Amino acid sequence: MTNHWIDLKNAKVFLIEGSNCAENHPMSMKWIMKAKENGAVIIHVDPRYTRTSEVADIFVRIRPGTDIAFLNCIINYILKEKLYDEDFVLNQTNALYIADDAFDFKGGVFSGYDEAARKYDNSSWGYDLDGDKKPKKAKSLDDPRCIFSKIKKFFERYDFKTTEKITGTTEEKIKLVAHTMVENKPGTILYALGMTQHTVGVQNIRSFGVLQLLLGNVGKPGSGINALRGEPNVQGSTDMACLFGYLPGYLAPPNHNVADIDTWTKGSGTFRRTFLVNLMKAWFGDHATPENDFCFSLLPKKNGKANYSLFQIFETALEGKMKLAYFMGQNPLVTSPNLNVVQEGLSKMEMVVVQDLFEIETAAFWEKREGVDPSAIDTEVIFLPAAAFMEREGSLTNSGRMVQWRYTGIKPPGEARPDLVILDMIFKKVRELYAGSTERKDEALLKATWDYNYDYDDQEQLIEFAEEVLKEINGYDLTTGELLKSIGELKPDGTTSSGNWVYPGVFANGENLSKRKDNENDPGGLGIYPGFAWSWPGNMHVLYNRASCDSKGRPYDKERAVIWWDEKAGRWTGYDTPDVPNAEEGPDTPSGQRPFRMSGEGVGRLLAATYKDPNPDSDLPRDSSSTPADGPLPEFYEPVESPVDNILHPEVPYNPCVKYPRVESLQPVGDRADYPYVLMTSSLAEHWCAGSVTRNIPWLNEMYPEPVAEMSENLAATLGVATGDWVKVRSARGEIRVKAYVTPRMETMLINGEDIEVVWMPYNWGHKALSRKPSTNYLTIDAGDPNTSIQETKACLVDITRA
Amino acid sequence: MKLKRREFLKLAGATGAGLALSRLGFNVRPIEAASKVTRIHGAREYTSICNFCSCGCGMICHVKDGKLINLEGDPDHIINEGALCSKGAAMYEVPNSDQRVKTPLYRAPGSDRWEKISWETAIEKVAQKIKEVRDENWIEKEKVDGETYEVQRTDAIGFIGGAQNNNEECYLFTKMARMLGVTFLEHQARV
Repeated sequence: MTNHWIDLKNAKVFLIEGSNCAENHPMSMKWIMKAKENGAVIIHVDPRYTRTSEVADIFVRIRPGTDIAFLNCIINYILKEKLYDEDFVLNQTNALYIADDAFDFKGGVFSGYDEAARKYDNSSWGYDLDGDKKPKKAKSLDDPRCIFSKIKKFFERYDFKTTEKITGTTEEKIKLVAHTMVENKPGTILYALGMTQHTVGVQNIRSFGVLQLLLGNVGKPGSGINALRGEPNVQGSTDMACLFGYLPGYLAPPNHNVADIDTWTKGSGTFRRTFLVNLMKAWFGDHATPENDFCFSLLPKKNGKANYSLFQIFETALEGKMKLAYFMGQNPLVTSPNLNVVQEGLSKMEMVVVQDLFEIETAAFWEKREGVDPSAIDTEVIFLPAAAFMEREGSLTNSGRMVQWRYTGIKPPGEARPDLVILDMIFKKVRELYAGSTERKDEALLKATWDYNYDYDDQEQLIEFAEEVLKEINGYDLTTGELLKSIGELKPDGTTSSGNWVYPGVFANGENLSKRKDNENDPGGLGIYPGFAWSWPGNMHVLYNRASCDSKGRPYDKERAVIWWDEKAGRWTGYDTPDVPNAEEGPDTPSGQRPFRMSGEGVGRLLAATYKDPNPDSDLPRDSSSTPADGPLPEFYEPVESPVDNILHPEVPYNPCVKYPRVESLQPVGDRADYPYVLMTSSLAEHWCAGSVTRNIPWLNEMYPEPVAEMSENLAATLGVATGDWVKVRSARGEIRVKAYVTPRMETMLINGEDIEVVWMPYNWGHKALSRKPSTNYLTIDAGDPNTSIQETKACLVDITRA
Repeated sequence: MKLKRREFLKLAGATGAGLALSRLGFNVRPIEAASKVTRIHGAREYTSICNFCSCGCGMICHVKDGKLINLEGDPDHIINEGALCSKGAAMYEVPNSDQRVKTPLYRAPGSDRWEKISWETAIEKVAQKIKEVRDENWIEKEKVDGETYEVQRTDAIGFIGGAQNNNEECYLFTKMARMLGVTFLEHQARV
């Protein structure tokens, strides 16, 4: 989230798209309803009418996978009618920057497309640079070479007629949404997996970005783009980089051709180099010195051309290359798409280790059931019983980046142990097995800082253990041994350490600030509560809050002023931590005009150009902006399995950077002639994700006992079924039998003159726990977004028949 | 008299429901309130944060004789102000569920059942296997586009998980994976 949960109360309008927050993030509704009581308008955009739609003022039904067309049509209307916030666009975005002349979009692809490789050379997506390698700027938004003119031309194709045909909604509805957003500010956007689980997931969010920048809805209380993240600590686990493509704090892990820190800096810039050095000091301690490049050579180098995502873990297992998988609290045999690949992948591994609370499906993949014969599966499986969240201490980071401490007062049942203990036991045992090795491959694991020495049976010591790790993450001044108080204290020379540069300050002055509970002090009344827990970075609650002020440092919205430049005191101040490079450098300095300081340009990027910000005193770049693999602007493409043609460019129906199938035998693509209906899946108020926990709670099973196929009254009539009748749902990948659930919440959609039916199913079941029912994910498609690899579980094709 | 909800509950709990409530001028049926207070009377309490979606709702856990006997939303928490959703409220069951696995388990190749093993054996087996797979599948150098590079990694081990773990656990999971040369490091953010 750019903002945070309580901040929702400050909004005047909500665009909730691709999220059923009333059921999946129930507590968000507490704050949305507060805003509504104060007159805020709620817009809900979804293919299905849900409990969230029920509280909305405006409900817009669109076909699954057509969000970009819908949003781009609103953007086009705002551009055409000049409904944008001109001061914001001029001062806080790259609208005036001159684009590279070679940039183009034609025939469904951007300039630089390589059809054979299905990828882009993005060198034409940058700016026209001056002698100092800075972007040249136009004098007015009318300059045909500026970014603003380029995007106007790009979005022009999304007229009302075209968009109606793609999405199934009407010109009237689209205009209503546009005017509601323009006339009610600040406005916030909430989204969840409904936007990300598509082969255009990243570009869905890019459309949000462009829309909010045009409306000036970034950096202000009640504004922003808020990802309602789906797991309790998925923000923290992403920060800590349990992901192949990151090191902690979103730093790039080195590719094969990045042999030293200088080469790394050419890609990532000197700004982030400081953070990398601090990470190396946290991981290698005294071994990491300026002379040995801070042990950079001890980091594993991935093949820059390979993908190491969750999907490839199972796919490389099919080829016999993945031998051992260690699962800590994840159950892919329910939650991953196209479960055939997961089941077969697990069966081909030599060992599977599962650390969890319950005997989950992934641990019991070998169990005898239809199509599975244990005697034919040679995999060794080890189950490590873990402690539940109330049985261990530690911190977690919510969607609003608030880091909170969990206490405990009970012991795990039987011999179950906290994850921290299990990780410590495994690493120490491995290290013991390698003791004395002088081989190059074992150098990192033997030199790593891993000296946690605590009695696993002593509760007090386990708390100290967790706090020691949080201190390591926070980081130290290595010359004094003091804990760091802020990111600003990080040094590039190895005299400080920090395991994750966004966390310094969580343990400022030796106090664990994630434990704070001041729920009274809320200066400004905006819901910031600076003394309650601690939010990264630097206890900042509203990211990009510099953009809430004009070029002089005065708040645009006086009623919701959050930070401002205090001329007398000579510093940025306010109710939140100011999001500026240096609090003492005012609006008359370059650093006082960098509202989006985490991008190379320092401004919001309407077009996500390729750009490296130069250093005045070095050939190495200062910072590098990130550009999606599939284009600098969001273009609409159909899902990989779609019931209709792409009317914008039939020759490029789906995302031209998607490579699918990757494994021909297990990834068939269904044709609309055989599979005429669109399937979308999601979670429930009663069951969560794999259901590993919730399906072991008897009363939750009573509340929602089994998966269903929810369909419109029209489709039910066509199939001749009523609620409660058994139906067979079949995709190109699998078939399951569930009960039909016929409601007016689903409706037949008119798409380009054709009637299209959409079916919804929850995905939370599997063959273990107290409630054992078929998994919807045997049907879903594992085609993925080219940036994130996230699968298209919100839109694939199925057929349904009476069972 | 201005009281925060939490203080109100404490007062009610400490002095006996009926009396406290009547003093405060609330029209609550004493028996209803008393039954609630009796259950947590004398219990130790601590706070935690819910483990479902990412709202980060505060919870109060009540413990008696080492057992969780009650769980409720924390009224002093700034986000949920005492409320919990259907899933959050149901977490009371987790520490008490007879479905929890209480010992390490082992399933041998081709077997159709689990057998109980000790922690020592479990960790030994996992560590030995990590070493074996690592040693047999180590990539020291790799040829990419005709050039040879030193890469020092293994592509035969996958580490998967994290979004339900605490920050400290995620950090050590990542650190361990990278120190072992594991590049297949993934978790729920991908799904």
